[in-house]
Amino acid sequence: MPDTTAELLHGTLVALILKTLARGRRHGYAIARAIEEATGGVVQVEDGSLYPALYRMERSGWIEAEWGVSELGRKAKLYRLTPRGRRQLAAETAEWARFAAAISHVLLAT
Amino acid sequence: MNRFYLWPWKAPVDDEVDDELTFHLEMRTREYIDRGFSTADARREAERRMGDVERVRAACRTLGEGRDRRMRRIEYASELRQDIGFAWRQMRRHPGFALVASLTLALGIGGTTAIFSAVDAVVLRPLPLRDPARLMVVAETWKGMPSDVSAGNFTDANAGITSFDGGLTAEQFSSFNLADGGTPERIIGGRVTANYFDVLGARPAMGRTFRADEDRPGDEQVVVLSHRLWMRRFGAASAILERDIRMNGRRYTVAGVMPASFDLTTNREEVWVPIAFTPERKALHDEHYLTVYGRLKADATVQRALAELEAVASRLRRDFPKDDGELTFTVIPFTDQFVGDYGKRLLVLLGAVSVVLLIACGNVANLLLARGAARGREIAIRTALGAGQWRIVRQFLTESAVLALCAAAAGLLFAKWSLAAVVAWSPPGVPRLEQAQIDPAALGFAVAAALVSSVLFGLAPALRLARSDVRTGLREGARGTTAGGFRDRLRTGLIVAEVALSLLLLFGAGLLIRSAIALQRVDPGFDPNGVLTARVALPAASYAEPARVVATFQRMAEAAAQVPGVTQASITSYAAMGGGGGSNGLLPEGVPFALKNLVQSVLRIITPDFFRVMRIPLVKGRGFDDRDRSGGQKVMIVSARLAALAFPGQDPIGKRIACCEQRPDGSADYKVVVGIAGDIRSRGPATPPVAEFYLPMTQAPADAWNWTQRSMYIVVRAPGDPGALTQPLREAIARIDPDLPLFDVRTMSQRLSSSLATARFNTLLLTILGGVGLLLAASGIYGVIAYFVSQRTHEIGVRIALGATPGRVVRLILTQAMRPVVLGAAVGIGAALAASQVLTNQLFDVSPTDPATIAAVVVTLGTVALVASAVPARRAAAIDPTKALQAE
Repeated sequence: MPDTTAELLHGTLVALILKTLARGRRHGYAIARAIEEATGGVVQVEDGSLYPALYRMERSGWIEAEWGVSELGRKAKLYRLTPRGRRQLAAETAEWARFAAAISHVLLAT
Repeated sequence: MNRFYLWPWKAPVDDEVDDELTFHLEMRTREYIDRGFSTADARREAERRMGDVERVRAACRTLGEGRDRRMRRIEYASELRQDIGFAWRQMRRHPGFALVASLTLALGIGGTTAIFSAVDAVVLRPLPLRDPARLMVVAETWKGMPSDVSAGNFTDANAGITSFDGGLTAEQFSSFNLADGGTPERIIGGRVTANYFDVLGARPAMGRTFRADEDRPGDEQVVVLSHRLWMRRFGAASAILERDIRMNGRRYTVAGVMPASFDLTTNREEVWVPIAFTPERKALHDEHYLTVYGRLKADATVQRALAELEAVASRLRRDFPKDDGELTFTVIPFTDQFVGDYGKRLLVLLGAVSVVLLIACGNVANLLLARGAARGREIAIRTALGAGQWRIVRQFLTESAVLALCAAAAGLLFAKWSLAAVVAWSPPGVPRLEQAQIDPAALGFAVAAALVSSVLFGLAPALRLARSDVRTGLREGARGTTAGGFRDRLRTGLIVAEVALSLLLLFGAGLLIRSAIALQRVDPGFDPNGVLTARVALPAASYAEPARVVATFQRMAEAAAQVPGVTQASITSYAAMGGGGGSNGLLPEGVPFALKNLVQSVLRIITPDFFRVMRIPLVKGRGFDDRDRSGGQKVMIVSARLAALAFPGQDPIGKRIACCEQRPDGSADYKVVVGIAGDIRSRGPATPPVAEFYLPMTQAPADAWNWTQRSMYIVVRAPGDPGALTQPLREAIARIDPDLPLFDVRTMSQRLSSSLATARFNTLLLTILGGVGLLLAASGIYGVIAYFVSQRTHEIGVRIALGATPGRVVRLILTQAMRPVVLGAAVGIGAALAASQVLTNQLFDVSPTDPATIAAVVVTLGTVALVASAVPARRAAAIDPTKALQAE
């Protein structure tokens, strides 16, 4: 049982997927694991939301997929960032920074 | 969008989602096993984290299908962009082909677009009236012939019906002398009841229309101007409202100006004034001069209106047996009456010009086939690289569409130019034709015509090229797609179609030309050469007295005769080919009075020299002279046709006929027949002569000056150029009264030819279209035969080497070339005989299945086809066998 959980803030899943894929192509499970590891287990990806998000992002043209081979030699669907996805990542990062700064300004005020 | 779920490639998305989710669950399970879970617990934990797996699966499938659709669209668009770019480069690389093909198409597309614009303006565009479909024309019929409505019948009908919204409205077309500072001018106008504009559903552009009380006698001095007159005569001045203008010697206050689009009758009125029926007028059931309109109420039907009108008519037939004995009413939709048969004539032209476009498509298809032969290698490479047949067909169709759209751009220029020519050359009176222009609707039509033609000319070549064998293409290099010479069905099919289509056009043109020749040969019964005609009207205000009217016209006849160059001059109420000439019922003496015994005849009031000016022969008896004075023995001259109708088998000279007026005591007024004049075709050469009779002006019934509105024709005979006399004649009339404008001045030859204007215009257009179609077909035949000869160079070389003479080679090629021509002619004759029925009402003295015309057209077409194939045939005969054999 995971001892720490954090609900993903609305919309941040997409930004996290984009950020993860910016480091190279990955299949869906690897994306989930990468996010969990990068946040030290603070963020637990809900698998049931991950895949619809990936398909939606594919439809929007931010990521594309192809069939490849996983690290264990299994056939797996690998996702890759597109140039449009890279622009989207930049936009979402900037938006997050603005949002986080605003929230911090309130919550951390002395 | 739902239909996509039914598509067969649904499966890949399903498999994709299943594979991906299964893989994920396996990886999660493995993760928990590594953390020390039992296999079953690890599996359960993985599934817990996924949640409702079916829901996830369904969501992913839906999203995946959306993604695939989007991908296909993007791919399609990018392929289309590539194809368009490629097509454009192809055209620039082969400018000769592109130019010939697009000019050929531009001719067809431009022509169809121009005629479409005309059809749109005249027929399709809705009238600028509220709900035009409910507007009706109410007319009388008399012995089965439509007739205008009398004031009495109008008044009684209006009182007896409820089907029309706001009642019926009546209009009397009349002309006005407009004297307003500048030179006096004769204009056409309508005298209308006050509800006229409300019934028609038209609003003024400026000011107001008539108030309900303005059509009472004494209150009618207001006028509504047409946009045209306002622009032309008053310089579009906004200060025109409430100003007084002088017409027919009286003052009228300008109430309003109608918009330019309000131009709805072929009479082209320029002003409207209220018609003020006096009680006496309203009781008058004879004298039919009103055009009557009514707007059907929302819940009324034509049938109900007709039933109500029939009830009125039956009352009128009983109450006024003399005037209305055979009266019935008809109700015709205004739109039908307005467009008349111009709609049909224009559609015939649109059909003809579409046939030209089809022939042009045939030629371009042939050009594409010829170019396709050179592109066999390119197609082979594409196919080898994995392009499917449909992909290649699509690319060729895109090229065709690009070509056709370029042609449409050029075609629009051509359309603008030819539409201007059509409008300028069209016969007068085609409603709204001058409003035709190359507008967005025409643009849309041109684009649609281009896309449809691109499929017509592009599809067959594209299918043929896409099917050509890959290996043959690669091996034979640039000479890829060959088909078996004269056994090439597609190319011979093109010849068959082009010959058939151009025969159709030529046959139509031929029939109209034969009609035109027949019309030219008709003897009108008078000599139109060297005659000048002009009209003049005396205003009622200053010429009230009949005696003064007669004296003035007589002075005018004398003054006209004195003009240098004039040999004889005459005054008449009704010149041939002019307007006017109402019908009168004549009763020969001794025949009992009954409607069926009345002989209908057209009256012409003349001065004695009329027959000499017109050179109408007197068959018997004498003409009018000084003996026929006012107050003397009343006399008349009858036409030969009237003589035969009124006095069959008898000598009419000295017999008496009652007509036109009654004696003061109410008894019939008889006139003695003193002469018989030759028949004339007054309504134009196409219309057979009707019964006519002549009265001397000195003895004209006093009422006649009301029927004619004191408007008469001056006709003079002047050897040499009668047109040159216009100015001297004008001056001679101005010396009698400077306020009287001479109008409608034309030579009799001009009148005669304008009565044939519609026929001539259609003949001219169809002949041009037939000629263009023939030239296109000839170049198509030439192209195909030249291609066949080039394909058979080797075979012909062998034949010549084996001793075939040039004559034999030419005969061989011609025989084979003529096969599709003969087949096309046979098909074309069938189609032409079926289609020529649409011309029936435009033909004169020619049957729509006239064998002589068919023969002439087939001979013309055959000769042209023979000449077109003779050029390549002679080239075949000149083939050098050694070179031909070496080339292989």
